[in-house]
Amino acid sequence: MFLTRSEYDRGVNTFSPEGRLFQVEYAIEAIKLGSTAIGIQTNEGVVLAVEKRVTSPLIEPSSIEKILEVDDHIGCAMSGLIADSRTLVDRARVEAQNHWFTYNEKMSVESVTQAVSNLALAFGDDDSEQAVMSRPFGVALLFAGIDKGGPQLYHMDPSGTFIKYEAKAIGSGSEGAQQALQDVYHKSMTLKEACKSALTILKQVMEEKLNSTNVEMSTVTAEKKFHVFSKQELEEVIKDI
Amino acid sequence: MEVLNNRGVEDYQTAGPKQSYFSPYSFNGGSILAVAGEDFAVIASDSRLSEGFSIHTRDQPKTYQLTQNTVVGACGFHGDVLTLIKVLKARIKMYLHEHNKDMSSTAVAAMLSTILYYRRFFPYYVYNIVAGIDDEGKGCVFSFDPVGSYEREPYRAGGSASSMLQPLMDNQVGFKNLPKQARVPLSKEEVVKKVRDGFISAAERDIYTGDEVVVNIITKDGVEVERFPLRKD
Amino acid sequence: MSIMSYNGAAIMAMKGKECVAIAADRRFGIQAQTINTQFDKIFEMGPKLYVGLPGLATDVQTVAQRLKFRLNLYELKENRNIKPKTFLSMVSNLLYSRRFGPYFVEPVIAGLDPKTSEPFIASLDLIGCPMITEDFVVSGTCSEQMYGMCETLYKPDQEPDDLFETISQCLLNAVDRDAVSGWGGVVYIIEKDKVTKRILKGRMD
Repeated sequence: MFLTRSEYDRGVNTFSPEGRLFQVEYAIEAIKLGSTAIGIQTNEGVVLAVEKRVTSPLIEPSSIEKILEVDDHIGCAMSGLIADSRTLVDRARVEAQNHWFTYNEKMSVESVTQAVSNLALAFGDDDSEQAVMSRPFGVALLFAGIDKGGPQLYHMDPSGTFIKYEAKAIGSGSEGAQQALQDVYHKSMTLKEACKSALTILKQVMEEKLNSTNVEMSTVTAEKKFHVFSKQELEEVIKDI
Repeated sequence: MEVLNNRGVEDYQTAGPKQSYFSPYSFNGGSILAVAGEDFAVIASDSRLSEGFSIHTRDQPKTYQLTQNTVVGACGFHGDVLTLIKVLKARIKMYLHEHNKDMSSTAVAAMLSTILYYRRFFPYYVYNIVAGIDDEGKGCVFSFDPVGSYEREPYRAGGSASSMLQPLMDNQVGFKNLPKQARVPLSKEEVVKKVRDGFISAAERDIYTGDEVVVNIITKDGVEVERFPLRKD
Repeated sequence: MSIMSYNGAAIMAMKGKECVAIAADRRFGIQAQTINTQFDKIFEMGPKLYVGLPGLATDVQTVAQRLKFRLNLYELKENRNIKPKTFLSMVSNLLYSRRFGPYFVEPVIAGLDPKTSEPFIASLDLIGCPMITEDFVVSGTCSEQMYGMCETLYKPDQEPDDLFETISQCLLNAVDRDAVSGWGGVVYIIEKDKVTKRILKGRMD
């Protein structure tokens, strides 16, 4: 498809004659340059795990944050242009708090994902108001959370499409990782198994050697809500793999 | 009235600017009463709509079913009541489409509070009581002031005869000033009877309450409506 | 705030079978501040005749004394107990004499006829307009609440004990929804051969 470059791949809101939006497709491609992120849903809760690319020994690893809290009961992992995710996560947080403010109840994971996806295609340059966004977001998100329907995992890509998954990998290692997830996943998986599998798969697809500073992991459970693993907790899991 | 001065001549008056006033609010009376039971809730209102000493209609109940198991009672200025109910119904439909589920009674109550507070400085002149079934399947009643202060309560009277109904419910439903052994949970039928008796009494003394009492009985299966006659004078 | 609710009060009377009851709260306060919780608002005007005076506390005591004064003169002159209905006229006359500078009290009268023992209850407004009823009368700052209670709980021809229970419940539950009356109550049950006074415990807030 990169060979068929045409004038249509420039305009962000112009379809090509084949019915494609090139800029959106390129944005989806941009995700594949990002670091790998994995999400697994179990009956006990959802786990999110991401690799951190510590490209220089002078980087302070804790300043790379790729799993963020949206609300007490929802977390979000990301891959791609991390800077773009700030806008999306900010929106997710605002929507979740607005929902709580208005209805005095927790927003469902699907509704949060839906609300964020509404932002994905809000770019454009023909609006009477000032054009806020000139291109699609270059980031994919994994929303993990617990609501009335139990533990849930959603994936959202730059086109705004969102799909519910039992297990999903995004980023540069996503092809191999997704296959590995398919092999290892089963419905009766415990959360502990899921944490272990997530790191095992990350280890397989990462270029660097996996350790407690170059991965980030968190869970969302009914008891502990959104919880980010500490260095010690991570090492506990890593020593078993 | 013509005013004559001591010379028997009419006072001379100039055509000055004339000021007229418009009041955006009026009061249309009506009473509402809600009681929460173990697994049910009852909410009732009278059906009289009046203004001053005249009756607009004898058939305008002031309870409105919002969802399968949520009913709101609203009285005060009927113009604001109608608008508020429309806003509520629209917002509930939007919620259904956005979140793919019916709004719970507790969420309706929370939303109503914010809707009312957004009009803090030009309020809806409406006294609201929300009755329904909560997420645990228990009966629930929420009472509001016109600017959105709200509270979950076991029972509440609102509107023009609230001061007559409330102490009665304190005694008959809340078992206030009664010995401990009197405190037994009431059945649906008992609650309906007490609510109906309350309205019959209120209609005796409150000119804004009468004609008919409309009782909504809310369970997890939906809402049943019963009507009983009241004084029509 | 209205001068009628400056001190706060709740008084009611009820007819029973060959008996009447009159009840009042015991609070004396200045607006929201409670000063005294053993304040008398019901006054004996004869062996089987009582008057309750809700309203401005200073006028309550003045009117009670002026009524007693007129009543004493009446009894000296007539050498017999006054009939409740006559007493009603006396109260009405006293209040109307201050038509344009009234005493701020709206009295309740309860009693039995000294000869026939016929039950009698009545109330007046602050300028003496009388009202005789066949069931119950209420007066005071929580009259709406009292109407709500009485209208539902009242039954005609109750025995003295049942009448006591009814009027007590009516009073207590009514004053509990009024900020300026309450702090306990007092009930007089007036029968042909005896008068029973009972103090009610209530919410003290």
